[in-house]
Order: sequence, then structure tokens, then C-alpha cells
Amino acid sequence: MYFRAIRNGMVKNKGISLVSVLFIAAAAMLVSLATVLSVNLGGAIDTLMTRAKTPHFMQMHSGRLDLERLTSFAREETLVDEFQVVEFLNVDGALILFENGSLAGSVQDNGFSVQNSAFDFLLGLDGTPVQVSDGGVYVPITYLQEGLAKAGDRIRVSDTWFTVAGFIRDSQMNSLLSSSKRFLLSERDYASIRSLGTVEYLIEFRLHDLADLGGFEAAYTSAGLEANGPTLTYPLFRMLNGLSDGLMIAVILLVSALVLGVAFLCIRFTLLAKIEDDYREIGVMKAIGLRVNDIKKIYLVHYAAIAAAGSILGFALSFAVRDALLENIRLYMGESDTSTLTPFLAAAGVLLVFLVIVAYVNGTLGRFRKISPAQAVRFGISGEPSAGGKAFRLSNGSFPGTQVFLGMKDVLARKKLYITMLAVLVLAAFISIVPRNLYHTISSEDFMTYMGTGKSDLRIDLQQTDDIAGKASEIAAMMESDGSIARFVVLTTKTFKVKHPDGPGYRLKVELGDHSVFPLAFAEGRKPDTENEIALSVMNAQELGKKVGDSLSLIISGQERELSVCGIYSDVTNGGKTAKAVFSDPSADIMWSVISAELVDASLTDNKVMEYSDRFSYAKVSDIGEFIAQTYGSTIGSIGKASYAAIAVALSLTVLITLLFMRMLVRRDRYPIAVMKAFGFTNADVRKQYVARSVFILTVGMLLGMVLANTLGENLAAALIASFGAASFTFVVNPLESYLILPLLMVAAVLAATAFGTRDAGKISISENIKE
Amino acid sequence: MKKILAGRQMVKSFGEGNEKRRVLDGVSVEISQGEFVSVMGPSGSGKSTLLYALSGMDTIDSGEVSFNGTGLSGLGEKQLADLRRTDMGFVFQQPTLLKNLNILDNIILPSVRDNRKKTRQLSEKARALMERTGIGELENRSISQASGGQLQRAGICRALMNDPKVIFGDEPTGALNSTSANEIMALLSDIHRTGVTILLVTHDVKVAARAERVLFLLDGKIAGEYNPSRHTGSIADLDSREKQLRDWLAGMKF
Repeated sequence: MYFRAIRNGMVKNKGISLVSVLFIAAAAMLVSLATVLSVNLGGAIDTLMTRAKTPHFMQMHSGRLDLERLTSFAREETLVDEFQVVEFLNVDGALILFENGSLAGSVQDNGFSVQNSAFDFLLGLDGTPVQVSDGGVYVPITYLQEGLAKAGDRIRVSDTWFTVAGFIRDSQMNSLLSSSKRFLLSERDYASIRSLGTVEYLIEFRLHDLADLGGFEAAYTSAGLEANGPTLTYPLFRMLNGLSDGLMIAVILLVSALVLGVAFLCIRFTLLAKIEDDYREIGVMKAIGLRVNDIKKIYLVHYAAIAAAGSILGFALSFAVRDALLENIRLYMGESDTSTLTPFLAAAGVLLVFLVIVAYVNGTLGRFRKISPAQAVRFGISGEPSAGGKAFRLSNGSFPGTQVFLGMKDVLARKKLYITMLAVLVLAAFISIVPRNLYHTISSEDFMTYMGTGKSDLRIDLQQTDDIAGKASEIAAMMESDGSIARFVVLTTKTFKVKHPDGPGYRLKVELGDHSVFPLAFAEGRKPDTENEIALSVMNAQELGKKVGDSLSLIISGQERELSVCGIYSDVTNGGKTAKAVFSDPSADIMWSVISAELVDASLTDNKVMEYSDRFSYAKVSDIGEFIAQTYGSTIGSIGKASYAAIAVALSLTVLITLLFMRMLVRRDRYPIAVMKAFGFTNADVRKQYVARSVFILTVGMLLGMVLANTLGENLAAALIASFGAASFTFVVNPLESYLILPLLMVAAVLAATAFGTRDAGKISISENIKE
Repeated sequence: MKKILAGRQMVKSFGEGNEKRRVLDGVSVEISQGEFVSVMGPSGSGKSTLLYALSGMDTIDSGEVSFNGTGLSGLGEKQLADLRRTDMGFVFQQPTLLKNLNILDNIILPSVRDNRKKTRQLSEKARALMERTGIGELENRSISQASGGQLQRAGICRALMNDPKVIFGDEPTGALNSTSANEIMALLSDIHRTGVTILLVTHDVKVAARAERVLFLLDGKIAGEYNPSRHTGSIADLDSREKQLRDWLAGMKF
């Protein structure tokens, strides 16, 4: 009989049971998707890199190349399996014309190559190395996705026309995060346009065993071979390929954890309420000799059914959605060889969700053991003392209003029940604030200062040209007399050997000049101010094992010089391995120079870019805003969209849970409501009490949520941003939005849900409910 | 005497369709100011329904109820609540106290709603009432730390806080042992002697015998009315009144 009573009671709570099923389904779906995506991504990257025979080590080099010396190094070095030097013809984007426009504004280094014969193959969409016939061109896959080109289109490079024969997957340069993009031409066509650009060499090695990579890098460096350009390795290529989809998987996992948390809260909430309702029945069952495990089973079966329904639904849904999410991976990397396994792994993930829920319910039901049969049968109410708010008394007179008092008193007296709603509101505040703060942070103009670049409007790169110093001073002279330039600085990068006590020398790229004009954000320490100071990028600091305050010896003009490390900063430019100092060095051996400028009127940047491009054809002039928009624009845009979605989710969650919670409370509180009405409280009084409860919990919840957002949330966001290369940052908070608009939205949501959820309080009949 | 409560041709049904049952079937009653009236009758005869109807806690299907000359059917939910809070007091079978509040807070709760600034005076008044009803030492106890009889006294204190014109009792001794029941009834009799009107629903002859008038309800109609002779209030007198009432009840055919 009691069994039936309990079971019937659970069927009555259809609303919340359905919500629990839906949240479990969402969590199961996300876990399943994350599994499918990770397996596919991992598999697809492996497949792509295996088929393309991606180099294990690649040194980019511009300038003179001693092929003979390199070849003999490769022959004598026992770790090397294969070796090749391939050309990358760097062509100004303005010379490459698609039917829909040129690549003039592209921040990528666009260039041409021919298919390699030994390794580093450029693959077609069928996963095999492409062979190009004369007159045809294969275009990087990214331009297909951006809608710039499609098969059959005509492309003009300077005066020569080519037809798009297809698209290529480039295991090195697929990712938007890698800064170069390779177009593929036939050998003859390549030779015909070779004079249009500058040749950069890719010095590529494949080793017998990838595990020897560290040893090989050291050998290459100590041999003093060509090294005018970034060095890239197999693990780095792998990471670049996985990063953007990997981030998506990380976000999905994070969201699924949140959703699962909400499902837990729903379950906990119904379960606790149910246990309190059934207190007497449970006591009676214990009194007549049923074992706790038998009683638990009744509840467990119900929740196992809910969990199973949710898991199966979620698993099924994940199949419907997965193709859309896999599209990007398939396009960029092709099919994975491991795809037959994925349904089983996804099912295992979903099973895990199911088991976690059942274990959680089982744990919560453990409190049955604490129920004393005698007390339960005699009083029918849980004997747990209402711990909170004893000092909070009506008779003290120190309260804001009778209804407010009663509402708050109830919250304090039944903390365990309200903690569920509190948790949801904390979560809602958290997920609405953190993504907005993240968005404001990365879209802020200062954000680039966390990434290794000072904040300026205009940037001029002088690279791969002769007499860099002369050309830089020519530009500087023009800027000096240009009234529309507020300030500018010339920073020159040179390489210096680091004196290392053990092992081979390490070449450090040091950017020299005045770093106070456009300052960076430092993760630790500060910028270099004196001649004997140097600041290192995070990667260099790690590689050299240096902390702020350590000293570092550089060979400058043949002389050893002791510098002290004054600061460490994050950097995503030039492979992340940079350093900054202010000492002067007379040598003319300049790798490149960068001239940064700030305009009096930033809105004129476009015109200035054109003016300086025309005037100095040898320099690459870019608009920093444009540079950011192209490099991070899509990321910023999606985080912006995601942050709005997060607000919508948070508000829906708030409304849904508040509504369900209030309805359940009103149903459970029929008796005290009837009592209060009998003694002359109006319906409006009673509803005011519920509003007071909601607002009280909401206030606490939002405060906690804000504190968490600025502590845990900032750290989480920092971890996410670290994957872009910034080691440390602080949230840029829009106070109006985070501390006024979002809270007001939540207050509105909670008030509306409370008003709606307590509608039935007025319908409670005194005579039917006052006899307990 | 002035009529404080009046019900005319009151009809109230519960249930739907074939299950529909008239619980009040055209009942008319009048109660004078300062009167002590008991309502008796078997289970389901409509006793409690009559009490809820007269106090405005439940609406009736047809007929009229007036309190102190005001028709209740014309009042809204808020005015009815105001009336219950200011002019009526209630004592139920169960103590109907809120478990979140201690005993003192429970007692002052309805009166504090309108007089927040007078909390201290109200608390003093409540303490005095508690002393008078013999529960002076309980003010800071939670309701789980008091006996049924003590809680019922606290309920009576709460009913007296606003100096009501009428106290309604729905089986106020139904959940108590005979000693506690006698004490509670003695208390209510004392309150009545101060001029408060009392309307009591009970099936306990001993309780009903304290009233000045007993209405007997059967199947939603008043089947009889008993008017005992004036009494002195002594124990011996109570016993004889109880015996007379029993004899009268024996004559009712149900």
C-alpha cells in the first residue's frame, strides 16, 4: 500500500520528472557528441598527417640557402630518415584575384608550391596527393569554406589566369592559426610566376623515430644551419590542426558538465521533497520491518527509469546532430579511420552518465537510514531541527516587514530544500556573466597586449628585403613629419646566441627598441628599462628555464654580456619564442623591423594604410583592427554569440527551475498557507512571502555567482585563453552589463516565474487543507 | 440582544454530478453578541461546513451570511481576510501553528501584520495572555517542544490577540485528553464571561454542555435546538447540564 502511495506520488510530479528527463537527455547527448567528436578529430588528424607524411621538423628560412651543407648534414645525421628543401613562393595578396575579390586584405602569407615527391604531400578532398595539370590551381580548403572560391572558378595571379581544379588539405597549414597558406601549381606554371614573389624555403626532415625530435632539434641548432624564420615540429602541427575543434569539444564537455549538474539539482530537489512528503510512510515501512534497501529500491527504480529514458533519448539525439558538428572536421581533415568504433565509445559515455545519476540517487537515499521510525510515525515531520535563523524573530521587531520576515524565515529554516534553487541561481548568474566578461575581454582593444603586441593602429613590417635599417629610418622620417601620426616606434629584431653552460647554443630572437611607447601586458615582472635587462616570452622562459630575476648571458657583438630577466609576457607572434630588450647593438644583421604607429584620428587608419603602402612598396602595411578582425574575428564573433546563448540558457534555466520550485513549494505548503489564510492573511500576503523567498535566494545566488565568476570564472577563461597563447590576463568587465542589466534580467525572470508559479496559492481552500 | 452573526437559507454542496452532496441544505441561524453556542451532530452532518461558512472562510452556493450587520457575500477576498484577522478568532482541532516560528512569534503573527511598529507592545500582550493560559514559560520554545494541550492554549492566545468579537472553535478539544480538554474548556468559558461571542463545533457532550444554546445538525439541516436553564458554572452544575443534554440528544432520532 505504501509502495503504491509513493509510486503514485511520483507519477503526480510529471512536470519535474519530465524536466529531469530532458536535462539528462541533454547531458547524455553532449557527452555522446563530445566522445564522437574527440574520437573523430583524433582519428582524422592522424589519418591526415599519416597520409600527408607531415614533416617531423621544419625550419622556415628566407635568404640565402646552402643546400650542399644541409644535404651533407642530413646524410650524416643518423636520426634523419628523409630530407627535402621545398620552395614556398610568397606572393602579395593583392596580386591574387578571385572572382569574388582579391586577397589584398588577407593577413595570411599566401603563396604557391608544387607537389612534393617524397613527403609533405598536399592532399585532395579524396585524401590522396593531388597532381596538378598545367593551367590548374588547387586552393587551400579554408577559402572554400569562406566561400571565396569554388571548383571551376578562375583565379588571376598578376597577369596569368588559372582554373580552380580543386581544393587541398594541407597537414601543416590548414588551420587559420597557422599564418601561411599554400596554393598548388604544376611545375611549369610555378616556374612561370616565380618572379612575382619572394621565395621562402621550407627545410623539412622526417626522422626514423619521432621520439628523437628533441635530440634532432638540438643537433640542427648546434650545426648552425639556416634558421632565418620560425621552426615548427610535428607535435605543433598536430596541435594547430586540433585546436579549433578541440576547443569546441572542450566547450561541449564543459556545457555537458553544467547540464548534468542541473539534472542532479532537479533530481536532488524532487528526491528531498519526496522524502519529506513520504516521511511518515517511510517510518511506517521501517517500523513494520522492511529493510532500508527494500525501501530504497522503490525510489531507485523510479529514478533509474528517468535516467534511462533521458540517456536513451540523448543518445538518439546525438546521432541526429553529430553530422552537423563533424562537418568541419570532415572538410578540413577528411574521414577518420577509427569511425567504426565511435558508436560504442559514445554509448559508453552515455552509460557513464546513467551510472553517475543512479549512484547519485543511491547516495542521496542513504539518508533513509537516519529516519527514526518512532519519530516519523508520531509526528510525521522530519525531526531535523530547523537549524537556521533561530535568532531571527518576529518578536524582536527587527525585520523589514511581516511577509518578508516569513519568507526569509522559511528559507533559513529549510536551507536544505532551498539550497537547490540557490545552486541553480548561482549557476545561472555564473554562466550569464562569465561568457560576457570573456567576450568583453577578448574583444577589447587591450587584449592584444596580452598576446605579444602593443596596442597601436598601424603596423609596418619590413622583412625579406635588403637594407632594413635604411628603409626603416626612411619610413620613420616620413612619420616624424606626418601630422596625423600621434606617435610611433621602430622595433628591430635580431638574433643572439645564448650562452648555455651545457649543450649547444640557443639562438634568441630579441626585439630591440623602446618598449614603453606601445606597452605589453606582462604575465610577471615588467618591461625592460635599462641596457642590462631583457624580457622573455613565456615559451622562451620555459625553454631556457628562466624566472624573473634570473640572469641570462647573450653573445652581443662577439662579447658575452650578462642580462637580468625583468619580465615574462605571453606571445603568439613568431612562434611564441621572442624576447624584448633596449640595449643597442651595432651589427647590421637585422631579421626584421616592425614600425608601429598610433594615429591622431584612428578612423583614418584605412587611408593611412593605403598611403604608406603606395609610398613604401617594399613594406607590408597593415591595419591592426583589420589584423585582429581577420585573425580572431571569427572566434570573437562566436564567443559573442555563445555569450548571448549562455544568457538565454541561464534565464530559461532560472525561469524553469523557479517556476517548478515555486509550484512544488505551494503544493507542499498547503497547510501553512491555509492556516495563515484562516487567521486573516490575504492571498497577496502569501504571494508576497514567496516573492520574498525568491528575491532573498536570488540575491544570495547572484552575489555568489558574481564572486565565482570573477574568481573561478576568470581562471576558467584564462585556461581557455591560454590555449590561444596568452598566459595571463584579467577580466575586462562591463559593469553596466554585468552588475546591472544581467541582474535586472534575472530579477525579472525570477519575479515573473514566482508570480506565475504561486498563482495557485490563492486557490488553496482553507477548509480542505487546515485539517492536517 | 444585538445579532452578531446571522445565516439565512445557507446552501453548500460538495462533489460533482452523481456524487454531488448537499452538506448545508437551507440552514438559518442567528447568534447574539456575547452568546456561547455549540453545534453538535453526527459526522458529515455539516457542522464544520456551517462554521467555515459563518466565518467567511468558505463561500456558500446560495443564501446569505452577515457579520455584525455586513453581508459577507459582498466582500472580496481581502476584506474577508481583514475581517477574520481583526474581528474573529479561531481555534482548531489541531493547534495549526507554523513550525518555522517559535510559540511567541506564532501567537503575535496575525496581529503583527497590521501593527509592525507595535511589536514590543504586542509581544507584551502575548506574554500576558500566555501567563493567563498557563504557558508563560514556553515563549521561546519551538512547537515541537510543547505538548498538544500547551499548543492548543497557544492557539487560543493567538485567537485572543486582536480582541475578537467572535471566537470560532472547530473541535478545539478533539485531540486532547480529558484533563487538558477540561482545562481548555474552562479557559474558553472564562473568555466568554468577558463578553466574547463563542461558536463551537463539537461532538463531545461534555464540551457542548458549557454552551448557552446547542444546535443539533442532521443531514445539512438544523434538526433541533436545546436551551438549558441558566447555570452557575460550578462542577456539580456542569455535570447536571451534561446529563440533561444527553437526555435531550437521546430524544433526537438519528
